[in-house]
Formats: sequence, structure tokens, C-alpha cells
Amino acid sequence: MLQAPQSASRADQTLSLNMKLLAHHELQGFGGLGEGMGMQLTSDGRRILWLAHESAPKNFSGVDVTDPQNPKLIVQTELPHMKLRSNSLDVVGNIMVVAYQATTVGVKPAGIDIFDVSQPEKPHLLSHFDCSGPYSRGVHAVWFVDGRYVHMSSGAADFQPRNPLDDQFYRIIDIINPEKPVEVGRWWYPGTREGDEAPPPPRLPTQFDTGFRTHNTNVFPEQPNRAFVGYIDGGAVVLDISDMKNIKVVSQWNHSPPFNGFTHTVLPLFDRGLWIVSDECVQDNGADWPKLVWVVDSRNEANPVPIGTFPAPPYDAFAKRGGRFGAHNLHENLPGPTSFRSDTIIVGSFFNAGVRVYDTSNPYQVQEIAYFVPGAPKLSPAGAIQLNDVYVDDRRIVYTVDRFTGGLYILEMNI
Amino acid sequence: MTWSRDVLAGKIPVTLVTGFLGSGKTTLISKLLLHPDMRRVAVVINEIGEIGIDHDLVTMSSENITLLANGCICCSVRTDLQETLRDLFAQRRVGEVFDFDRVIVETTGLADPAPVVQTLTSDTLLAAHYRLDGLITLVDGLHGVGQIDQQTEAVKQIAIADKILVTKTDLTSVDHLETLCGRIRQLNAQSPIEFIRQGEVDPKRLIDLGLSSSRASLKTLQFLGESLTDGAASADGAGRYLGQRSAAHNAAVKTLSLRFTEPFEWLSFSSALELLTNLRGPDLLRIKGIVNVDGYPVVVQGVQHIIETPVKMDRWPSDDKDSRLVFIVRNMELDVIRNLFQAVGAIKSSFNSST
Repeated sequence: MLQAPQSASRADQTLSLNMKLLAHHELQGFGGLGEGMGMQLTSDGRRILWLAHESAPKNFSGVDVTDPQNPKLIVQTELPHMKLRSNSLDVVGNIMVVAYQATTVGVKPAGIDIFDVSQPEKPHLLSHFDCSGPYSRGVHAVWFVDGRYVHMSSGAADFQPRNPLDDQFYRIIDIINPEKPVEVGRWWYPGTREGDEAPPPPRLPTQFDTGFRTHNTNVFPEQPNRAFVGYIDGGAVVLDISDMKNIKVVSQWNHSPPFNGFTHTVLPLFDRGLWIVSDECVQDNGADWPKLVWVVDSRNEANPVPIGTFPAPPYDAFAKRGGRFGAHNLHENLPGPTSFRSDTIIVGSFFNAGVRVYDTSNPYQVQEIAYFVPGAPKLSPAGAIQLNDVYVDDRRIVYTVDRFTGGLYILEMNI
Repeated sequence: MTWSRDVLAGKIPVTLVTGFLGSGKTTLISKLLLHPDMRRVAVVINEIGEIGIDHDLVTMSSENITLLANGCICCSVRTDLQETLRDLFAQRRVGEVFDFDRVIVETTGLADPAPVVQTLTSDTLLAAHYRLDGLITLVDGLHGVGQIDQQTEAVKQIAIADKILVTKTDLTSVDHLETLCGRIRQLNAQSPIEFIRQGEVDPKRLIDLGLSSSRASLKTLQFLGESLTDGAASADGAGRYLGQRSAAHNAAVKTLSLRFTEPFEWLSFSSALELLTNLRGPDLLRIKGIVNVDGYPVVVQGVQHIIETPVKMDRWPSDDKDSRLVFIVRNMELDVIRNLFQAVGAIKSSFNSST
């Protein structure tokens, strides 16, 4: 019998190019994951992938991925209450930093936890650094790669934003003594804090106004005096942090307006004088399209010049597939021993357009070389996959997570 | 950050199936389409009507694409092959067709496969997303000998093949097949010959004939072929193949194996190759080999005047670091080719020493 025509662009259809699924783990039914992914190499040689959950009730999970075809959930922790999300984490050696952001201002606890995970099955809390306050929701994202400084997007008790959307700014916390974290630096977009001399920055049109606050705040050992900050509607900001008490702007680049805001990640490719800058899509059904990944020539720090964008996944196939469609997280060339590092191959997560791999060897003509779009996970409210974050290990195994129910997908690249 | 990409791994392999009129291509393709292992394979054919697919096995059908129950995509050529392969890739990317992992193309009976190879290498979109995996030539087990004697196209199709399938073996005698194989070996000394009947063939036998990775492995050696590694490619070039098989018929088609101990500079090597293809393109049926370019291994392949993009391998596949090349040529002498490559090297080195 002739069946009705079926389009492969249906959300239940898995799409792939040069990527193979090795394993899928639903994390015991709590497969809604945020944008915190870190890999620990334990003293007994295991690889533990730490994952921050997108929303309550779960806090974080540890998955043993030593054998990537046979991932094992070894620990899953709970949040103290339902008005909290962990969303972000990073791990260096046996120290893990987890972010906590509340659903509204004034809720406690909100800040960061520092854990000793030398026994990964039993994470041991060393300290909590409080970032709650009458105008603060706490911490959205952390960057912790050197074992000492936590660079983060956070509110603070003493920080009153002029606009409630601008509540999170750049803070540096020194955890040389992990039991006594102390703030050693901060910077916020001039004009966003009550009492600033600078006028408030002009806002994007209401439907795209997501805030002048920080998202990713990355600092790499290649250039420890620079922080690469995705400042959401404030664009890409690079800061000179050589004097943490006196942070200065060295670069600023913003595509919005005319684009629709939300600069998420600024990933420098040091040897090439480039930044790869990703947006985040935050609206369903393509309402804030296009959300892109940009190539910016940064050879002159004072004058960053955009030279191209990554070829975006096809709008027709994905915009109405369900949920969000567009750029989000990139694998960030973390300095640790377990992270893949490349100054040409860039891997990103694109919500319903899956995980995608690009070759930027020619920065003016970036090529898409691989992708994997899992079919819609069971019970997903978006009705389609929503890949939220991605981590690539030194074995070039790709780990990517769904925002709602799908959990962890482990993939192999054939590139 | 030294890790670099495998330039071939991401490309969709394309297998060309060719063969003289009546050699059994349609039978082969119609059996192949229904084989259970054809999931995620796109088959490009000339005329879908010729195949006669049972409607029960069709799960989706559009203007020129039919999706079969086994997951195979059958696609008829609309305007030309170039356009069809471009369309297929575009439709794959937007999810209009299932993600196929490879393509098998049926060429028309009289068609010269060289233009198809040229399309794959010269169209920038196709070259970026596809690679030629292999040429398969069907030879009529019953009439093959006659066709080789009378039809230059049939001779060429055999000479350039990576694999030869002798069809209709149930309709002929063992003696006749032996004679036929002898004739095939005169034209193509290296490529494997397989016998099939009623078009029955395992799809796995038709794939993985080409270079699929720029990372050297055992497969690289297999791709390069025995003749490049077993010493047959001796300095005089007249390896065992040629010596034994330069029979009366079609003596004009020869397999020449060359080996060079001195590394080449890319400029000298490519100049020689360019000169050869410019002057004698039509008579250079096939070139395949690994070249030592300043110590680095570079795989070179070509069909007639079309040289595919050379592939720099990540390392040598074995301890043998000599340049080894096999030419299948028509009406050409071995010495001419060898002297040409030696001459450009010599010109270059004399230039270097005089400056």
C-alpha cells in the first residue's frame, strides 16, 4: 500500500552527517540539562562527565564516560528547593564549582557552591559563596579553569541595576582557599547600575530586549590578562583584567541592533587573531531568528571586525520544528587535560538543529562538516530536540545535552 | 592545536556503475534497490520506469525521488547528473530526503565515465561534499569478448574500472569465462574481477573501493593495490602484469608501474603530470599512486585528463617511502612517461644547483 508522503524534516526524524551516536543516557528521567558540562579525570583513571541540570529538582549529575559507549550515572544530586536552578558548572582537578540562580530576586541560596569531588560518588561541599540580594537572582554561569579564579555572571547584594534585566555582571572570585572564597574583581556595563555616571544604554526593541548582563566570562591561560565576555544585549566585550581591582575595556563589538541581541560566548582563537562569537536563541519557532555564530577578526583589539558567519542550519527545515532554533553554546577549548582543543574545528549546539561541527580553516568561508540532530526525545514539551550545550573531549568524543527531557547524547565525529 | 581534519572523511562516497549496453546494469540496479543492506544509500538512475519498482515497496514518492521500504533512496536523473547530485545534497541537508551515506550512480550504456568524474571534481559544491569511491564496470559474460574486440568504449570502461563484474555467468561456459577474464586482464591487470548472475550482488562488494581517509592505515595500502607494494613496480616498470599479458589483442592498452626513489618537489611532479594530461589526456586512462613530495606522502589519482585533488596523508602507510605510480595508458610507451618525470626533476635540480 502506498503510504502518505513523509518528510524527513519531521521532528521525530534523526538527521546526521559524519556523526554517529555511540550512546544515549536519559539520566533516570531527569534529562533536562543546562549549560554546565565539565570532565574530571579521577585519580583511578576514570572520566567523569559532570552535568548541571536546567531546572529543579535536580542539581547536578555525574556520569562515568570512561567507556563512551557505556555511560554510567554515578551520582545525581537535589536542589534545596524548586525556585533554584544550577545551570552551570566547571571542574578543575577534584574541585567543582556549581552556579545557582533563583527564579526571582531575593531568594536564597543563590551563588556558587564549591565541591571536593575526589570521590565522585560522594561530592563533598567545601563552601558556599552567597550572591543573593534584594536585586539579585544569583549566578547564571561560571568559568573555572585555572584552579584559582572563578569568573562568573552574577548578581550581588550591593548591586542595584537600573533595569531588572541587567542584574548579572562580571565578578571574579578567588578560591585559592576553596573554603573561603573572596571577590577580587568586578565589572559591569557602564550605565546599568543605579547611581552610574554613564547614561543607561539604549535598549533593543521590547520583543528582543533580554538585558545588558553577562553570560559567558572566559579567561584562557594563553592570555590570562583578558576576559572574553558575552554581554548579552551589550555584545562582545573583552576586558583587561591584569589589575583585577581596575578592570578596563579593550574591545567592544555588538551586532545589535540591527540584529536581535543576546551575545552568548566569545571564543578567542589566539593563534589566528579571531573570535568565534555565538548568539543564543531564546524564543521558540524562529521568533528571534537569525541567531548565528560569527567570525570576528580581532587582530586589532580596539577595532574588532566581523568577517563572516557560520553557515546556519536551514531555516525551512528547523524554524517550525518545535522549540528554539539557532545558535547557543560552543565547545570552548578548555585548557584541562580532557578537553578537545582546536583553532579550526568549532563544535556548537543549536537547539532543534542539533549539534554541528564547522571547519573554520578559511575564516571567510566556514564549512559545516558534520551534524547530528536527534529525533524528538520522549515527552519533550518542545516536541523536538533542544540541544543546549556541548563538550568535546580529547578523544574527540562529543557530549551534548537536551534542555528538557532527552538527557545526554554521546557521539563520534568522522572528520 | 595541531590536530587537523581528515579531508576525505566528511565526503559522501559516490560509486559509478558503468558497462556496455546489454551488460546487465538495469538488472543489477533493480536487484540492488531492494537489497536489505541498501538503507541510507541513494541510487541515481537514468529512468525510473525502466526499473519497474513494485508499488508495495514504495514508502514515499516525489517528482524524481522514490523512497523504498528498505530505506534506499532511488532518484532519477532530471536534467543532468550534476544538477541531480546537487539537489540530492541540498534536500538531504534540509531534511527533505533521509540522510544517505553514499551514492551509487548508474551511467548510461554508451557513456564515458570520465565526464562524470570531471563533474565530481570540478563542481565546487559537489567536490566539497562528495568523493569518487570507485568505478565499477559490468562486462557481459556472453558477449564481452566480442565487445572488447569491436568497441573502443567497452575497452575503456574495463581499463579504468576499480572493480569488474562479469554478468550472465549462468549463460556461458567456464572456458568462455576464462578467455574473457584473460582478455579483461590484458586491459586491466589489477582490479578484482567478480562473477555475478541475475544481477545478484551484495552491496558491500560495490563500496569502499576508493581512498576514504587521509589518515594512513592498512586500508590505504589496499587502496593503492598490491602492485604498488609487492615489488612488481620495479625500476624497469614492466612488472609481472605487463610482461605476461601484452598479448596480441588490445596491446595498445598497457598497465605501467613506476617507482621513483628520489623525492619529488611538488612543482616538478605536478608539472610533469600536467604536461602528460595536457598532451595525452585521452590516452591516459587511469593514474593511481602515492608520491613522495619532499618526504610527505601524497596520494594522486586521475581518470584521463582529470586529476582529482591530491590528498596529503598524515603519514606513510608503510616503511616504503618511494613514489609509486600505476598508469593505465593507451598507445604510450613506459619510457616516455618515466623519462618525463625524471626530466622535470632533473631540470629543477639543475636549476637549484646553478643558483
